[in-house]
Amino acid sequence: MPDRLKKTFGSGLWLMGRAAPLVLFGAVWQGLASSGLVNRDFLPSPISVAAAFTDLFSGGDIAKNLFVTLFRAAAGLIAGAACGVWIGLMMARSQHFKEYVMPIVGGTYSLPKSALIPLFALWFGIGNATAIAAVFLACLLPMIVNTYHGVTTTPKVLVWSAQALGTTGREVWSRVYLRNALPDILTGLRIALGFSFVLAISAEMIASTNGIGKLIFMYGENGAYDYMFAAIACVVVVAFFADRGLVLVTRRLLGWHESATAEQGRRRA
Amino acid sequence: MISPVRTFPQLPWRSVASVLGLLIVWEATARAHLTPALFLPPFSVVADQLWFSIADGTLVSDLAISLARAFTGLLLGTVAGVVVGLLMARSRAIEWLADPLVGLGFPSPKIAFIPIFILWFGIESLSKILLVAFACIFPVIIGTYSAARSVNRLFMWSAMSLGSGRASLFLHVILPACYPRIFTTFRIAVPVGLITTFTAEMVAGGGGMGATLIYSQRFFESPTVFAYILVMLGIGLVLDAAMRKFQSYFLGWAEESAV
Repeated sequence: MPDRLKKTFGSGLWLMGRAAPLVLFGAVWQGLASSGLVNRDFLPSPISVAAAFTDLFSGGDIAKNLFVTLFRAAAGLIAGAACGVWIGLMMARSQHFKEYVMPIVGGTYSLPKSALIPLFALWFGIGNATAIAAVFLACLLPMIVNTYHGVTTTPKVLVWSAQALGTTGREVWSRVYLRNALPDILTGLRIALGFSFVLAISAEMIASTNGIGKLIFMYGENGAYDYMFAAIACVVVVAFFADRGLVLVTRRLLGWHESATAEQGRRRA
Repeated sequence: MISPVRTFPQLPWRSVASVLGLLIVWEATARAHLTPALFLPPFSVVADQLWFSIADGTLVSDLAISLARAFTGLLLGTVAGVVVGLLMARSRAIEWLADPLVGLGFPSPKIAFIPIFILWFGIESLSKILLVAFACIFPVIIGTYSAARSVNRLFMWSAMSLGSGRASLFLHVILPACYPRIFTTFRIAVPVGLITTFTAEMVAGGGGMGATLIYSQRFFESPTVFAYILVMLGIGLVLDAAMRKFQSYFLGWAEESAV
């Protein structure tokens, strides 16, 4: 999306050009808040939110709770991604396994995973285990589906070529099928990353005593709205950079893949 | 984009066996008291409770509330998202203005905004509907934008050389060309809308499936918890199947629906 704009602004001014609408957004917000048109309690000004943020940051409240949330999201994501790739691969390898697992995968795939949070709270109590279990399940499904799709769409020619060149057994799976599925796996990972934040925060709002989700909700209930906005802004920024980071890693890993070269081709055009 | 059941030719016996097996293991585990009934009520008890909830009307009214919220929000979010996406694709000024905001909003976990929506729009339906719209608008904007950017130039040149103006070009060429992509993103937005609705109801209360689910959990009415989860699972499956039908029926002309 930004490519067309990059041309408009030139590479030096580009970042400033990108940030300008956000500054404008902040200015309008500040104007709206300080004009008195809207109730100050309903819309704290960006300046008071920034003050709340520095206060939260220096007090360690944000860092501590953010760490808890990120730990839950990461633990669930890593476990879900690992199991998801494995199950997806197994489904592609074995027709029988696929037939056994398919109805369960299909059923849980379309289940809104947050519905399971009350159940997990019942099973695992309030805290880490509930949040991690919810994140795990939410991340598992897109990983299974995308891995399976990537592996099953491997061109036979690639497999034959590898076999003709002497690749055998396990190596075909790791060096041909999994390699071919990598773009799909990374697509699944990006979806799972988004889910991991949503589920971790939802679980904290519903059944937890700490974490950034609980923090946001607590400030909302206590009427400390500038603090609430600061905590939400913090979540937005962290989620944004996590997503960007994954996209960068994906680009690097997929330099060989046609999707990357196609994008470069479009950029040149 | 992602359809888990894409390779369902007809129900193979192993699939039936695995579901039946799961239900039998569930029933047996619960009946043998291997786990406390509070954690895992037998499937038959859950089925009884499900029937009871249907019969006394609570389930139907909860379902109606939740689905009304989800679909009003989805509709709002989709319409607004299509409009913004098209405008961004056609106007550089709007693209410049909206792109960083969309870029920042798209990956953010929308559920974190729920206290703001409660603060501004109350704890009734309005805050939930608007939160759903807010959650759904970003994928729709991005889908519509990239679809509108990649409309075949030949179609546009042909229409223009045949004398269509700006408005007619928009309505009769660009928008229809985007329909398949818009529908694909709508399919992504539907589960997002459902998740957001249920979660918002769990967090903020105010009736609906999510609220009843969380109350049942707090009062340790496990059969109701399981029954409601089963219903939510059913809704997800039914909606997914319905959209698949719709897509192949109305948008069969576009290659994307072959996916």
